[in-house]
Amino acid sequence: MLNKLLMSCIDINSPYCPCLLSQTNHCTFCSHLKGELVCDCNWSGVCILYEKQWQQKKPRWTNDADSPVRLESDTEFIIKQKIAEHTYLLEIEVLPALAQSLAKCGSFIFMRRPSDQQFYHFPVGVMKVDGNNIQVVIEGAGPKSSRLFTDGNRQVLVRGPYFNGIFGQPWIDNVDNGKILLIAGGMGQPPAVPIARKLLTNGNSVKAILAPGKIGTVFIAAELAVLGIQVQEVTSMRQFGMHALAEILADPEACPELIVSAGPDSQHYGIIAAMQAAGVNLPMAATNNTTMCCGEGICGSCERLTRNNSRVRTCKVQADFSQFIQE
Amino acid sequence: MINVVVVGGGWAGCAAALAAAKAGAQVVLLERTDLLLGTGLVGGIFRNNGRFTAAEEAIAMGGGDLFVAMDANSRHRGIHFPGHSHASFYDVTTMEPLVKKILQNYGIDVRSRTRVANVVKYRKKIQYLVNDNDEIIQGDAFVDTTGTSGPMGNCLKYGNGCAMCILRCPTFGPRVSITAKADVKEIIGKKADGSYGAMSGSCKINKDSLRPELKDQLEKEGMVVIPLPENLKKTGMLGKKACSQYAIADYAENIVLIDTGHAKLMTPFFPLDALRTIPGLERARYEDPYSGGVGNSIRYLGMAPCSHSLKVDGVDNLFCAGEKAGIMVGHTEAVVTGLLAGHNAVRCCLDMQYLELPSELAAGDFIAFIHEQMTTEEGLRLRYTFSGSVYFERMKKLELYSSQRGEVNDRVTKTNLTDIYNTCLV
Repeated sequence: MLNKLLMSCIDINSPYCPCLLSQTNHCTFCSHLKGELVCDCNWSGVCILYEKQWQQKKPRWTNDADSPVRLESDTEFIIKQKIAEHTYLLEIEVLPALAQSLAKCGSFIFMRRPSDQQFYHFPVGVMKVDGNNIQVVIEGAGPKSSRLFTDGNRQVLVRGPYFNGIFGQPWIDNVDNGKILLIAGGMGQPPAVPIARKLLTNGNSVKAILAPGKIGTVFIAAELAVLGIQVQEVTSMRQFGMHALAEILADPEACPELIVSAGPDSQHYGIIAAMQAAGVNLPMAATNNTTMCCGEGICGSCERLTRNNSRVRTCKVQADFSQFIQE
Repeated sequence: MINVVVVGGGWAGCAAALAAAKAGAQVVLLERTDLLLGTGLVGGIFRNNGRFTAAEEAIAMGGGDLFVAMDANSRHRGIHFPGHSHASFYDVTTMEPLVKKILQNYGIDVRSRTRVANVVKYRKKIQYLVNDNDEIIQGDAFVDTTGTSGPMGNCLKYGNGCAMCILRCPTFGPRVSITAKADVKEIIGKKADGSYGAMSGSCKINKDSLRPELKDQLEKEGMVVIPLPENLKKTGMLGKKACSQYAIADYAENIVLIDTGHAKLMTPFFPLDALRTIPGLERARYEDPYSGGVGNSIRYLGMAPCSHSLKVDGVDNLFCAGEKAGIMVGHTEAVVTGLLAGHNAVRCCLDMQYLELPSELAAGDFIAFIHEQMTTEEGLRLRYTFSGSVYFERMKKLELYSSQRGEVNDRVTKTNLTDIYNTCLV
């Protein structure tokens, strides 16, 4: 069942399905909406072709270039905390409907200055939703994210919800009363928080290994400890974290049912290598770090190749991270 | 021990499971929904015209269990209705549990609510099937009797949408073709106008919603012909029908109701408002499909290329029957092909020569003729049945049609196939 869900589109059964891809026969799921002659889908419980017929009149499908495809909030942000040089924890008040729809692990938003062109917007994982306020952590690194802070700007346009921030979401959603190992490094820390909360609500016991990564600081340890998670901080994931992981994998008593990797792709691959070395094959959920420009499956910037030679647009489509070909 | 897995519990699947069990295999029958018989739950008509011959052939060959059960559960026998002689109508409301019992008595493992989602093949052999809970179902040989409708998206694209028919896709999930999942390219049938598919040819009206005197007449005589008011006569619908034996002018001039437990209406669909303008049907409502006023299921969207032994081309241990095996209509046709496919599935496991029915028998000629027709563009636009249309004409011309039990028995004896389906091969 879970394997089936692993290759499906995250937007199915949301208000955002069917999407623009179905207009041009590029749906990732429905064979008719791929231009094939007959039905051949991996039944998800809804018929997307039917949904398309019944929902035909969507305002977001008008040909007006400026009409938003998802929800948008033109609002201001507050810097709650400076985490490191160029790295800030922001709090943003958004539309209630938008805040509500982001209260799910794996959710992310696109942000830009309202006065900037569309192509300035960049994706950010949501760390916390509290009422109508959302919290995100931003590292002002490239031309897009730096723009947000220049000239003392506090204006922001938030677009969302987007859901595909984690590969292996079905495992996180469906595992209960299990042992989970959560490995988070650097900018992988913010998305790790909602994942940890979700796992705990299903009665799982979670152990976390945290490392400062490129930004040079661990800033979620206290929050996880309060939730009752056993936290192990290491100064370097590569040197010490992977060693701790190898010990856990070698001990049948401590071996988890699921590993969640929140961090850069190099960390994901390090964990896969550690599993291979230990001769175990555990399911792994991993944060989605692909470069994204549109978030709607249109532009193709987030496309990755899998071992069975299919191309997956990772802004929308779930996949098992270990099936990607290492770039 | 030989394990045969039959996928799809319609009449063809039930017959295949029965034949495989009689030939000595351990049989698993997988059914997606919670009922056997598939579209046969909206059927009821058998032994009409050439179907009498085909049923008697099957009985003489030792595969008569299901026909005997239909006979025993008939509401009416020897009925004549437009274009059809000596028909029997089994009761669709009580048939299913009876068939289930028969199968279980033969030791067949009937698994309902089991939807096959995938096929795992190694070279040219199917290794196992996977259901949608990721459970594995293993077998030595497989029979595909999954029909040709596919999921409800097909009914939307080629018909008038989901009419909430007996296939109940939204509840039990879409139908999956084993043949297609085994990477065999399927054949698509067409309507007379060249568009894909065909709409199922009848629907059921709740008998209690008829005017009482009409209901009484229907139950007494088994069928009623009601002339249509002038404004409702139209002939366009006939070309869309799956069941060409009923696509005759009589059915454009009249509506024909048949008592199969419900009142079977011999038309794919009929707008409810218009239906209620017909005398006696002022309060009519549909029983099956629920939206019979709007449409019906679409069929013939995926037929398996196969030999006369009903082995699917390109896969060594896959057989097919019913609509899957060719553009045929009706449960007599489904049972006859099902028996052959199930029997040959056992022969496959024993490395025996496959049984092909000789052309001296109606069933043998029927299979060969359909396969020949399906190679042509015109042939793909017709439907074939023992009970009417092109094939019944051919049956009469070749003198294969007989309504005499003794005569059919003698023919089967001449071909040395008496009781062949009763023979344990293992």
